[in-house]
Amino acid sequence: MTSSPALVALAAAAAWFVIFVFVHIGGVRAGFENARSLLISYTACFLGTLVTAIAVTAWHHGMQAVILAAIMAALTSACLFALYVPALYTVLTSLSVQTMMLLRRRGGALPEAELYDRFASRKIMEQRLATLLASGYVAPKGPSYQLTPRGRAIAKFFRLVKILWNLGPGG
Amino acid sequence: MKAICLASAMTVVLLALVTFCFRLYPSAHRARQMLFVYFFCLAVLVALWFATPDDLGLFGQSLLTEPAWLDFAATLFFFSAGFFGGALQLYNLCDRGFSLRILVDMLEAPTVAVDVDYLTTDYSSGRGLVWMYRKRIDDIIAARFIDRTNKRIVLTAKGEMFANLFTNARRVLGLEPPQ
Repeated sequence: MTSSPALVALAAAAAWFVIFVFVHIGGVRAGFENARSLLISYTACFLGTLVTAIAVTAWHHGMQAVILAAIMAALTSACLFALYVPALYTVLTSLSVQTMMLLRRRGGALPEAELYDRFASRKIMEQRLATLLASGYVAPKGPSYQLTPRGRAIAKFFRLVKILWNLGPGG
Repeated sequence: MKAICLASAMTVVLLALVTFCFRLYPSAHRARQMLFVYFFCLAVLVALWFATPDDLGLFGQSLLTEPAWLDFAATLFFFSAGFFGGALQLYNLCDRGFSLRILVDMLEAPTVAVDVDYLTTDYSSGRGLVWMYRKRIDDIIAARFIDRTNKRIVLTAKGEMFANLFTNARRVLGLEPPQ
């Protein structure tokens, strides 16, 4: 009995994605809590997905079926990644989530002023700038910061989407 | 291939409809507006899947996803992932992204380099960080995760449930919750 190329592709993508999640969690636990390690581990698992889907399909089927399996596997893996990353960053960086976790840790209630001191302060801006600096989006210039070409490209793209979608400044 | 073609085409239609809605019918609840567009497109996608032949009149037998139920499930999955992981996240980043807004503020700043004080007071075209955090507090109050009583912010039962969930997720990642 030969298996469906699509089923093989979906199974390969799901299995390799589970491996990616474990590798990524292991990496974060080991202190590699950055976008680069996330992308490296995902790229490795994405290639694993493609190789598995292509190899297993090529065993029983022709070239067109291999193409179908490769496309299905790549798209399934990319979709799983697109769903995983926002969930991850919500847990890691969302200020709303951090507020709720802080409240829980401090007995369920805090003065509003204390929360503003914590989450609307110069310190939170410094922390975010440090992250942007480490990611290569901004660069120091004396006591100030300036955009790198990469940061400028990202800012221009999102400003364009904001204009297209009529969103206003936001933030 | 039918799943990939239909889901991709419908994602393009969804993005066009979202752009149309945002420009012509501005609303304070844009995420809800996007959800309505998503469900509308999802219904059209399901109808299209049943109304069209398996090969879409284009593909050979070896490019068909079999069994058919798998093709249907893949269609729904690809389209939903495109929305929840793509379009909705793009909107969230544009409208609520803290780091992204800092980058845009730096792009729009009168000087090439800006300091932390400028970014803190002029965040989001001059609204400031207090505005940014008030917006988040108001949003999670509206979602009934927290409540405001006598100048204190109180976690609701629903908020506590989600706070537990996020705290456990951070524990899995080996990270401490905020102190």
